[in-house]
Amino acid sequence: MPIIRPKLSRRAFITGIGGAVVALPFLESLLPRGKEARAAAERPRFAVFVRQANGVAQADGDEPERFWPSALGPVTYESLTTTDSDRAVAELADFADKLLMVRGTRFAFPGNGCGHSGGGNQCLTAAKVSDMPSGNLSLAMGESVDNRIATALNPASNPDPLTLYSGRMAGYINEVLSYRGPKDLRAADRNPWSVYTKMVGINQLPEEIAARITARRMSVNDLVREQMQSLMSSPDLSMADRDRLQIHFDAIRDVEVELLCELPGADELAAMEAQQDYSGADELMQTITKMQMNLIALAFACDYTRAATLQIGDGNDSTQYTIDGEKLPRYHQISHRIYSDGSEGDPIPDAQGKHHVIDREHAKMFRHLLERLSMYTTDEGTLLDDSVAIWCNDLGAGVSHTYKNVPWVCAGSCGGFLKTGQYIDAGNVTHNKFHNTILSAVGLTNGQGEYVDDFGDPELEPGVIPEMIA
Amino acid sequence: MDHMVDLSWGSSRHVLGGLALLAGAALSGCYSGAPARESEGDAASATDSASDSASASASASASGTGGDTDTAGDTDGGAAAALPDTSRFPRLSHRQWENSIRDLFLLGQVTGKSDLFIGDPISGGYDNNSEKLVVSATLWTDYQRAAEEIAEQAVNDPGIMAAIVPAIDGDSTAKASAFIESFGRRVYRRPLTPEEVTRHLEVFQAGVGIGGDDDPFNSGIRIVIQTFLQSPHFLYRVELSDQLDGERIPLSGWELASKLSYMLWDTMPDEPLFAAAEAGELDTLAGIEAEAKRMLADPRAREMIASFHYQTLHVEHYTKINKDAVKFPEFQESMRDMMIAETMTFVEDVVFESGGGLTELLTAPYSFVNKTLAPLYGLDPAAFTDELEATELDPSQRAGVLTHLGFLAANSSNIENDPIHRGVYLNLQILCTGLPPPPDVVPPPPPPMEGETLRERIDRHTGKGTCGEACHGTLINPLGFAFESFDPLGRWQTMDAGKPVDVTGEFYFNLTGATKFDGAVQLADLIAESEEAHRCYVGHLLEYGFARTQQLADRDMIAEIAERSRLDDLPITEIILELTKSDAFRFRAPVEG
Repeated sequence: MPIIRPKLSRRAFITGIGGAVVALPFLESLLPRGKEARAAAERPRFAVFVRQANGVAQADGDEPERFWPSALGPVTYESLTTTDSDRAVAELADFADKLLMVRGTRFAFPGNGCGHSGGGNQCLTAAKVSDMPSGNLSLAMGESVDNRIATALNPASNPDPLTLYSGRMAGYINEVLSYRGPKDLRAADRNPWSVYTKMVGINQLPEEIAARITARRMSVNDLVREQMQSLMSSPDLSMADRDRLQIHFDAIRDVEVELLCELPGADELAAMEAQQDYSGADELMQTITKMQMNLIALAFACDYTRAATLQIGDGNDSTQYTIDGEKLPRYHQISHRIYSDGSEGDPIPDAQGKHHVIDREHAKMFRHLLERLSMYTTDEGTLLDDSVAIWCNDLGAGVSHTYKNVPWVCAGSCGGFLKTGQYIDAGNVTHNKFHNTILSAVGLTNGQGEYVDDFGDPELEPGVIPEMIA
Repeated sequence: MDHMVDLSWGSSRHVLGGLALLAGAALSGCYSGAPARESEGDAASATDSASDSASASASASASGTGGDTDTAGDTDGGAAAALPDTSRFPRLSHRQWENSIRDLFLLGQVTGKSDLFIGDPISGGYDNNSEKLVVSATLWTDYQRAAEEIAEQAVNDPGIMAAIVPAIDGDSTAKASAFIESFGRRVYRRPLTPEEVTRHLEVFQAGVGIGGDDDPFNSGIRIVIQTFLQSPHFLYRVELSDQLDGERIPLSGWELASKLSYMLWDTMPDEPLFAAAEAGELDTLAGIEAEAKRMLADPRAREMIASFHYQTLHVEHYTKINKDAVKFPEFQESMRDMMIAETMTFVEDVVFESGGGLTELLTAPYSFVNKTLAPLYGLDPAAFTDELEATELDPSQRAGVLTHLGFLAANSSNIENDPIHRGVYLNLQILCTGLPPPPDVVPPPPPPMEGETLRERIDRHTGKGTCGEACHGTLINPLGFAFESFDPLGRWQTMDAGKPVDVTGEFYFNLTGATKFDGAVQLADLIAESEEAHRCYVGHLLEYGFARTQQLADRDMIAEIAERSRLDDLPITEIILELTKSDAFRFRAPVEG
């Protein structure tokens, strides 16, 4: 914004008219304390979706395959480091036995004037795209899979999925993934420091101080709830206002999630705090993405939430990635293969090659998440084994913007449910079946105790993808 | 919660005239040859940004004589025009929250705490669109944390405490009551009822009991501040009035004061405005007008004008301007901020220094130039400094904000002009033609041919005789091609691919029908004389000022103000003033059913 706004340190200071400066014991409260291991019997399951934009450099039209392994079937460290070393997924070789790559799914519905927006709308919802608004403003007409998981499985004190973002929000298409319901898009948090401090809350404060804060909150919440109920009881209230106030009312919580986990060390905290003014600079994309991934792993380890999303880049990610010291053209333009966001423009030399380089960079970032999830051990393995981490895309391929063959790269068996170490073709099925499978993997059922079969638009054929299941 | 109503000019044009121009336009779009939709999943779009619009909803119909303008200065609700349905609980935007905190605690500057708040997924429209602003669980946590931090800091700052706690004699309960009444009046932007004072006093006592501060009184004040800042009466601009006057409900003076201050200043009312509300002065049109005039003369109104135009003109896009280093070695990344400053300084100058209207914004042949930008305007940099200064430009080349460097450079690719997006922007944001979204499947562009100009290439792909003819041939391309006399850096150019640039075109305007023009300056004049542009602009101002999208019930008022803007060159500040005097500002519709 052009408005001149002097910055204050946001850590917790106000310089008032009296000039006094007061510090809170805030940073100290965020430092690590003791760790308590979770018992095996209580171990929950988790799902995280990491979304790359603009499709991947897979076989499409005249362009060669540079993403998937060369053959369906088992995926091994050896195959990914020899035969398939030229494929983007080779970056995940260290996790070969934990991978489940799924090709052959498609989004069922057309977009509404904007391929990116329509893809983003459908990616985690398998729902139709809104008629109004349309174009780049279109919205999904249904709930997203992360919302379904969090609603069903999260601790009562935190019913929301963790919804994170890295990169610019340029205003054209911003967050696209998480929906509470039809046209009810959930905002994504792109500031790791803010996410971390909200997550930790007062957990680490001395007991006496925490008790006082909690007591104050109870009194405050009581009065605020009274006020909200008074407003909501007005007979002269539109449905929209009623819905809006209800969301607010439901958000008021008396207790925080109790975090039973080891918090990051001072160095990691300082690194996040140093980026508290982050506003989406291209140069920080990988740094912020990895911080957000650290927070997702932490959130799972602490059982803060059972579902998370991380959107990397905006709707048609226009980041200029710097990879191995080279600053690439805008990613969206690379995906179009021309120096333009439209259909006219000079060709970008070796554009598919550049797209492949970016695919590899996303694979490396995803690998970082897998490494972080693997850092947390359980008595039977690691947190990754209790989870399914999914690297996904809201388009199939770059230049065609196709909704066919949308890539899903899963890691982790979700407690042994998923059959890992393989690359499968689902057979051109609609991707609601993929989500039905993931929902079943985290422990949800269809009400009759069987696999979830009803996620997404009711017009879609129900069912799971059996080949994904161990 | 979705109130979007398609009031687009496109729709009315289909009905009112110009049908020949739009022949062949399918219901789902302007494309006559492309499939409307694919039934299977391979829905794709190679022109995924062609519907780039903050708001496709638009202006009013050609009919309308001004509706009930209620110029008598009373609040008689008889024979009133229908009012739009509006929220009784518009949430403060993050900017409004920041400014309100600053003013509540009498700080010299904003705290910046809202920079860590989760953003609002607006999905079109302005960032204060009340239909989209909700308090989610994440934002509630943000508000809670900010309230606790601010309360902590306030009670530990003797200067702040002295400023917000009345210095009265009496025990701590009496002092607390005085604080709740005086500070609460400013937080809730209305006097508290006796019951509210009592209930907040209970919270104060609870806070004293909880303790935690050296002075128990401060513990009580701390928790009351926390409560105030998390209350819906602070976080929303609540409209409690519910008494019918005819078929509509007049807002109270206190509610009008808040509506005025958040519209014109993006913050809470100041003391004179509160005093006007308390004295009943806002119950009359004259009272509202007097306060609105005072407020528009205040520097805080400049922030509102800046924010509105920043969003309407898509100035955010200037931050992404980038040019190929080989083709445009003159480009420097520092130019982005200069171009932003140029546009924003120009807007401020037109609105406040010149007292200008939309016509001046679109046609004035001057801008603000420094030594870096001067060469791009063909001016000698030696005559300039690092500071932007008002500079007359060649009136045969430049007319208004759309011929300034920022708009031209932002609506170009790294290597060439982008007439399609220039045309789309003008249709959607300046004329509100309400273009339908492009089809999901667009044929691939033809390869460039030797010696072909950009216009020729785009015409070959989307112009007349192609499947893109209906939208591109008649609506998008003609407007975009008018700017082919500028290069991707915004410099004047006369040749493209060895040929003289062709900037002629024809566009259908309501008043003049199919109208020919030759270049951006002539086009700017035509736009400034058009009904469409004035209705579009007034409609945008209504959306920003009233923090909601337009509805059908708004159209007569928009048409009436727009006509005065067009015929009388109504200053932009006067347009805003007219909005504050409208029935839609002073009343709300009862909720049906």
